[in-house]
Parts: sequence; structure tokens; C-alpha cells
Amino acid sequence: MTCTALLVGVGEVGTRAARQLVDTPALTRVLLADEDEERAVRVADALGDKAAVVPFRPGHAIPADVDVVACALPTGLDHAVVTAALEARVPCASCDDDHDAHEAVRALDRNARTAGVTVAVGCGLAPGLADVLVRHAAATFERVDEIRVARTGWAGPACVAAVRHERRATARAWHEDGWREEHPHGETLVWFPDPIGARDCRVVTGGASLLVDAFPRTRRIRVLLGEPPRRARLRRRFGDDGQWGAARVDVWGRRDGSHDCVVYGVVERTAVAAGTVLAVTAARLGGALGPRLERPGVHGLAALCEPVPFLTELAHRGVRAAVFEGAAVG
Amino acid sequence: MRAFRRVVIVIGLAGLIGAIARLRGKGGVPPTSGGWRELEAPEFR
Repeated sequence: MTCTALLVGVGEVGTRAARQLVDTPALTRVLLADEDEERAVRVADALGDKAAVVPFRPGHAIPADVDVVACALPTGLDHAVVTAALEARVPCASCDDDHDAHEAVRALDRNARTAGVTVAVGCGLAPGLADVLVRHAAATFERVDEIRVARTGWAGPACVAAVRHERRATARAWHEDGWREEHPHGETLVWFPDPIGARDCRVVTGGASLLVDAFPRTRRIRVLLGEPPRRARLRRRFGDDGQWGAARVDVWGRRDGSHDCVVYGVVERTAVAAGTVLAVTAARLGGALGPRLERPGVHGLAALCEPVPFLTELAHRGVRAAVFEGAAVG
Repeated sequence: MRAFRRVVIVIGLAGLIGAIARLRGKGGVPPTSGGWRELEAPEFR
């Protein structure tokens, strides 16, 4: 049996996703597409015989014989690829972390259900792995009251631009069964696992809607995002080979008649974590990691993935999460 | 001139207080007990 993946975009995240896809034994071919075709050729050459470059661009029809599509494109470009995937009835995963981009793809939910195609959005560090950790934590409660997801870290220049845009945009949070506009006064200090430690974060809309889809009865859902350094682009040019990132998930709920909190965290290079999550999700959608993951519609990973097999696969690939034991504060 | 000096002092003080507040951030108390432990298979708890 053959399984072919099409990876669109080989930037910081896409390159890592490509490596992970090539390292998935059941995937027999990995097709790479990027606006910068020279870069795509260089990446394909480095990955070996399994990888090849195709002249695909957002808006083109999905090439024949593709079993799954993975998108690692700058914000907003994945909509055209998802549309093409739906027309070709091929499952698709995207790591875009911008709220507006999520909404654009979520608007295709009805089309995806009609076509019987599964589309996974927000397949990065947060949203993405953080959402899986939220579901993992939520399983320990009889009722979930509040979810808070925080992230610091960014991959390439496109990701830095998306983070800046998200932090500037009007923030909305889920509060008592409805959306409420947030007017945060300054930053909130969030404690991530070592060695990241404490970072200033701001409330953003982010991937909150994906969490609301998965946990509609939760009273309060907030997403916070750290501030990228002002000179990230310049630092990268002088040899910084990647930014470390972190995510922290706080889930409050009730169990055994008392109120409790579970805190999970993860520290990894943001591009590595996002690329690995995107590749594992795409491999599962394509049936290259066990049974094909099928749930027609557009979903975030909290709604789509069983946490334990997903975390097992990520740990096998070197991306590991941690739990905070002690006083859950901050 | 006196009014000008007062305005400068008020703006300076406001800037200083704002900078301190910005640096200190809001909320967030350092964890005083406990720590992070890596999740392990098979349960990842």
C-alpha cells in the first residue's frame, strides 16, 4: 500500500514537518511545494529519495494520487489549499495559528462534512499540541470550568508577523456561554517550564474558538500570547538557528466534589514542535500512523485527536510534555 | 516658566510610574512549591 503526502510550504515549520513526514515509514512519498522553488529543491535533496518537488501553488488543483495535504504556509494562504483539498476529497492539516485564518477555514466546515473530508486546523504548538494537552487534562475532571492556554515562541518571520498581528487585534475570550471582548491592562506574567520561565503574555483571541468547539460547556476559555523580540528578524540573520518556545495549559474543573487544577507545559523549538505536530496529524489523517483519522468537518486537535496515542507518537519523535506538580499559581 | 516646569515634572513622573508598572507586569506569582515533571508513557499523567 502506498501513501503520498503533499506538504505546501517549506519554511521554518514546513522543513521540520517534511523531515518528520519522510521519517514516517508508512508514507511512501512526500511531495514538496513552495513559492521559492529553489528552496523546495534544496530541502527535497536533503531529505533523500522519498521527497520530490511539485509545481503546486495555493489555488491549484491537488495533484493526483495525493492521500493527505499538510499546509505550513504564511497566514491566510491555507484557505485556497483547503478548498482544493475538499474538491479533491483529500484530508488536510494546517498549522496556521491566526484567528482570522481559522475562521476562514472553519467557514468551510459544511463543505467538508458534505464532502466527507476531515480538515485539521491549528496543528502547531498552541493551538495544536496545547489543545491535545487540554483534552488530556479535561479527561481527569467530571466537569471543566475554565481553560487557559498560554504560548510564547515563534518559528519563522511569517510566524513573528502573525504573532504581532494577533497581539494587536481586538481580543475575545469565552465567558459564561458567550464571547466577550477583552480589554487587558498590560501584560500577564505566565510561568512556563524551565528554562523559559516567566514571560509577559497578552490575552488574544488565538485558537479559542477551536477550544470552544471542543469544550462548549466550559464557562471560561482564554488564550494568551507572548511578545516576540523586536529584532527577531535581524537576530535570525546572524545565525540564530531557531527560537525556543513554550506552551502552558491550565485546566480548572471539579472532581470528587472539589475544585482542582491541572497544569501541563511543553518547551521545544517552536518550529520543531509545530512541524512535528503538523506531520503527525497529517500522517494520521492519511492513515500512515494506524487507522485513518476520519471525522468529516473542520476541527481543532482537541476535538480530533485522542491524547495518549498522539502524545506517545510525539514523545517518540522527541517532543515531550510536562506536568506541574505543586501549587498551580501564575 | 513655573507652569512649564510642573508640566515637565508631571510628565516625567507619569512616564516613570508607567515604565515601572510595565516592567512589573500584572498578576502572576512565582510558583513557590513544586516543579515540572516530564509526562511518561503509557498514561502521560
